[in-house]
Amino acid sequence: MTRRVLQTAILTLLLAALGSPGLAPPAAAQQPNTCLDCHSEFPEPLGVTREKFAADVHAQKGLTCASCHGGDPTKATPEESMSRAAGFRGHVDRRQVPDLCARCHSDAAYMRQYNPSLRTDQLSQYHTSVHGKRLAQGDARVAVCTDCHSVHDIRPGSDARATIHPLNIAETCSRCHSDAAYMKPYKIPTDQYAGYKESVHHRALAVRGDLSAPTCTTCHGNHGAAPPGVASVEFVCSNCHVFQAQLFDTSPHKSAFEAAGLPACVTCHSNHRVVAPGDAMLGTGPQSACTGCHVEGDGGYTAALSFQRRIAELQTAVERSGEILNRAEQYGMEVSEAKLEQAQARDALTKARVTIHSFQIDQVEKDVQAGLKITEKTYQAGVLALQERDFRRKGLGISLLAILVVLVGLRLYIRQIESGEGKGSA
Amino acid sequence: MNAPGVDISQPPLPLRRRLVELLLGGGLLASAASFLYPILRYIVPPPSADLGGDTVVAGKVGDLKPNSGRIFRFGSKPGLLVFTADREYRALSATCTHLDCTVQYRDDLHQVWCACHNGIYDLNGRNVSGPPPRPLESYEVHVQGDEIVVTRRQKA
Ligand code: FES
Repeated sequence: MTRRVLQTAILTLLLAALGSPGLAPPAAAQQPNTCLDCHSEFPEPLGVTREKFAADVHAQKGLTCASCHGGDPTKATPEESMSRAAGFRGHVDRRQVPDLCARCHSDAAYMRQYNPSLRTDQLSQYHTSVHGKRLAQGDARVAVCTDCHSVHDIRPGSDARATIHPLNIAETCSRCHSDAAYMKPYKIPTDQYAGYKESVHHRALAVRGDLSAPTCTTCHGNHGAAPPGVASVEFVCSNCHVFQAQLFDTSPHKSAFEAAGLPACVTCHSNHRVVAPGDAMLGTGPQSACTGCHVEGDGGYTAALSFQRRIAELQTAVERSGEILNRAEQYGMEVSEAKLEQAQARDALTKARVTIHSFQIDQVEKDVQAGLKITEKTYQAGVLALQERDFRRKGLGISLLAILVVLVGLRLYIRQIESGEGKGSA
Repeated sequence: MNAPGVDISQPPLPLRRRLVELLLGGGLLASAASFLYPILRYIVPPPSADLGGDTVVAGKVGDLKPNSGRIFRFGSKPGLLVFTADREYRALSATCTHLDCTVQYRDDLHQVWCACHNGIYDLNGRNVSGPPPRPLESYEVHVQGDEIVVTRRQKA
């Protein structure tokens, strides 16, 4: 009995080893691929054109249809090429896709020959994702590898046409997550993509072309995609917004938010619709983020007003001195030194806006004071430059007047000489 | 020229002649002054020297200790001159590509750092972490005599 078990085990292992991709080098690309002879003529979903398959990174590395579907593409007849004896499995059930891809992608030794730095933990990550967990529970509607990466024309993320290129990821996710009918059973919102498209993150990514700017997967993870959750959202944001997170940790909001079960960052800035923060978020106006919790009379309300007032004062001072320096420069006055200093005043304003996250007025005040000191100086420099301009203008006027006087004097003098000569010759 | 009826045989009044001479002399003097003033102003050097355009003297050899940096003026924009721990000069634009703050050299990190949002660049100006979306413009540095001359790179 035990011998039979052992024999079976050895046989199974042997078969598994033979079937393992590590032992099966990819078929050379030049070998005939009889699958495409027929399937390039078929309509979808059975059809795969030669062009489409040629764009697939797997095809480019020499893998064939058989690598995933089994069978033998070198054989001419369907009976032979699609014979179950040759391992043909035909249609791959959605539920089996992650394991199928993982046969190679979780095999570090195998993957190394193609891309030594490519991660091989996608499947284990996937098991931790909301998609993976639901799939394990038998929900076949959730995303599997091919839903995000496409099927027969899978391109690497560096390819701008890839569904997983940073610029395309949000749209790829939105194909399901913005489809209200499809998402209905899950009872989750479907406005994430619409919100994200209005966000400062999307603007940085799609408009400014900063490919490191966040898209869905930056905050949710890719293969292990799941919402960050109330407790960890601050960690997620702080990967990029380091200072704000540090300051927030020292702020009175830290414990207050925790006690109230409010997530950090997103309580004021929202999550998908993170619009560019502005000074109107301070204070108590209609766009205030403070009045959500603070009411007239409490300390936070007063603090909100002071934050706004101080920032506005510095902003006005920066604008005022910037304007006078620009004006002086337009009149051709030399103000480059002052303009250089003016940059420091703008720095102070930017820093003050970051320091707001400490929610402590004395800390903000330090930056504001530093900025105001500089703007006072640069404004004076602008005033002096304009005074100098006026002085030069007056000087020009006076010298023109002097020249005029000379001309008139000369004219009179000549006339005098002429009249003297006239008398002499008469 | 003279109106009829005016006796031209009368000698001109000495007062009138004096007046004309005064006018002429004063006018000449004032014009001379207005020509000379700008020349004098031009000769007196301005408080700071700028070679203008695409080249600037960013400092003197010996001003900087190894592994330190300082801000210099490049036109009306700040530049950052770094003397690396390996005794090499590097010059970069000091305006952060995120929100225009002025960056600084961090001797503990051996990198360029922006204090506004913790942006970090390497010594070639490449943005390596934090929010900056683009590298800093890097300039050519030449040591001429004891002067460190920084030049904007010619666009290829
Ligand atoms: S301005 Fe430099 S990191 Fe934001």
